[in-house]
Amino acid sequence: MSVVKRPSAKSKWYIPGILTGLGITIKHMLFNLAHRKDIYTIEYPEERYPYSERFKGNHILTVKKDGSLRCTACMLCATYCPAECISIVAAEHDDPSVEKYPISYEIDILRCVFCGFCEEACPVDAIRMGPEHQTAAIVGDNFVYDINRLAYRPGLKGGVLSKVDDEERHKKGL
Amino acid sequence: MPKITINGKNMEVPAGTSIIQACQQADIPIAHYCWHEGLSVAGACRMCMVEVEKNPKLQIACNTQAVDGMIIHTDSEKVKDTVKWALDFHLINHPLDCPICDQAGECKLQDYYMSYGLYTPEMNQPKMKKNKVVSLGERVLLDQERCILCSRCVRFTSEVSKTNELGIFNRGDRSVIGTFENRPMNNNYSVNTVDICPVGALTSKDFRFKQRVWFLKDFETICNGCSTGCNVTVSYNQNGVFRVRPRKNEAVNGHWMCDEGRDVYKHTNLEFRLEQVVERNDELGGASVKGKPVPLAIQEISKKLKTLTSKNADAVAVVLTAQYTVEEYEALLQALTALKVKNFYHWKNNEETFDSFDGLLLRGDKNPNTQGLLKVMEKYKVKGNLKDFEKGSAFSMTIVAGPENQTVYPDLEKKIDVLKKGGEVVYLTSCKNDKFNTFKWQIPMKSFVEKSGTFINHKGMEQKIKGGLKISKEAITLTEFAAALSEAGGARA
Repeated sequence: MSVVKRPSAKSKWYIPGILTGLGITIKHMLFNLAHRKDIYTIEYPEERYPYSERFKGNHILTVKKDGSLRCTACMLCATYCPAECISIVAAEHDDPSVEKYPISYEIDILRCVFCGFCEEACPVDAIRMGPEHQTAAIVGDNFVYDINRLAYRPGLKGGVLSKVDDEERHKKGL
Repeated sequence: MPKITINGKNMEVPAGTSIIQACQQADIPIAHYCWHEGLSVAGACRMCMVEVEKNPKLQIACNTQAVDGMIIHTDSEKVKDTVKWALDFHLINHPLDCPICDQAGECKLQDYYMSYGLYTPEMNQPKMKKNKVVSLGERVLLDQERCILCSRCVRFTSEVSKTNELGIFNRGDRSVIGTFENRPMNNNYSVNTVDICPVGALTSKDFRFKQRVWFLKDFETICNGCSTGCNVTVSYNQNGVFRVRPRKNEAVNGHWMCDEGRDVYKHTNLEFRLEQVVERNDELGGASVKGKPVPLAIQEISKKLKTLTSKNADAVAVVLTAQYTVEEYEALLQALTALKVKNFYHWKNNEETFDSFDGLLLRGDKNPNTQGLLKVMEKYKVKGNLKDFEKGSAFSMTIVAGPENQTVYPDLEKKIDVLKKGGEVVYLTSCKNDKFNTFKWQIPMKSFVEKSGTFINHKGMEQKIKGGLKISKEAITLTEFAAALSEAGGARA
């Protein structure tokens, strides 16, 4: 129901309303000038809010000690993913102890819901959700992240090392 | 007929039936690795233990015959515990490979672990290291670590393919499956060993790492690779068709199929398909023009056909390969005979080896429906083969129902030259080939995974194929072609 209020004689007296509003604004301004440290607002592009290290932001593909991808292309993340944003193409590796590896690993970041199921499903700690959360970009930018971006983007400084190492597992006799 | 009781259920089985077969008849699941319906009994895996009353120890169901009065329990605590321990022993040296193993999702080790196992392993010794990714032949790879030595593959090569390439070498936990030196497993039935392998030890090189099996859907159909008509299961998903596996039918193929038949899915995938009408435009100097809508193209063909046949019925010829269904031939012949066409020719491939047979399944006649085509041609009282076409006078127009699977027509290029004599050739084909650009028309056809119908195999046995995939958007069946032809040609009016 929409109610249209016709301007009445009373409502023409807007000046008291304006003065009340201005009063509140000036009160807060003076208070903030006096207590500058307590202001919640931050100057966004220059100053950024520190998020927790555990924040589930953009994905990271971890690497092995030799710098190659840890991912074995088992596709459990792609199976588990509720947004169906992960697509992997597997291939045969020359080294029989590696056997299977992804030649293409792509995440459609616009479809991703950042639920973290991929990280949970991964049996070898190959995919993690990193703390990076600002991924705004202009139209036409590539929102399908490939291996290069997921594992070797400059922010990761050469890649994040996976916790699961095949060689150590083999030594333990697993 | 011995009367037995399994889990309190009374049943009567033929004499000589083993307990595991009786259980199968009664739909009672029994864990097993080494036993296979189509192979001899090995009794190697010790998984199919059942409790037989008045018997002090548990018995293996695969090698114990059901005798009168036997009371069998398959679900007692004792049985479950024994199966659990048998599984624990099988998994002592089994690597934790599931993430990269192609069998994951259809692996009996995983299935039985979930239904009988769920234990924490009690072995604290390191696992035995063996070779991974060992090539056994052109189509099969072996992972020795994953193998549980059920010997199904060894028995297959000695009993079914009778080629004896595989054997078990060494003793104890060093035992491995292998081939003899310089004698790889290259028989034409080698991929069956991959199907019967209950674990991921044997994998098919063709299917390896293409898809995880849980992304695939299955449907049942008939192999169109040769006139045997093996019953198969085709696995597919939205990215195309990925593999063909045999389906049990004792009357046709038993449990097996040949390796050549494993490749029949390949030509159905979009990369090999003709997707649009291709027309040779003579005004543009014989250039190929793509993209005319199928109904419009058939309308033009129909108009031409009608004017030709009204003057001279002998001006038009029809060449048919035996790769389409009975229903399609029926519709096409009905429509064309109504349009007064009377020259029909049967195009046989590889005539020299046409009647050959390898003794097991594969036949020289590489068409699924030769009998069906001959039957329909007989019904409409037309006959002739491509040689008659070659010898006869030239035609103004020829409709060719070309082979769907071009790889089984090795002399296709030579035959294209023969067909040129047919004047304006309307070539109906599923797959593309640049050589066809000399023809006036190329019309896209559906492949055998996209349509339903009947194939009649070499024995005269009718088998239904049930398609239902949608791969090529514009493709039509011969039935649709015939209907469009007669409607546009006014034969029905």
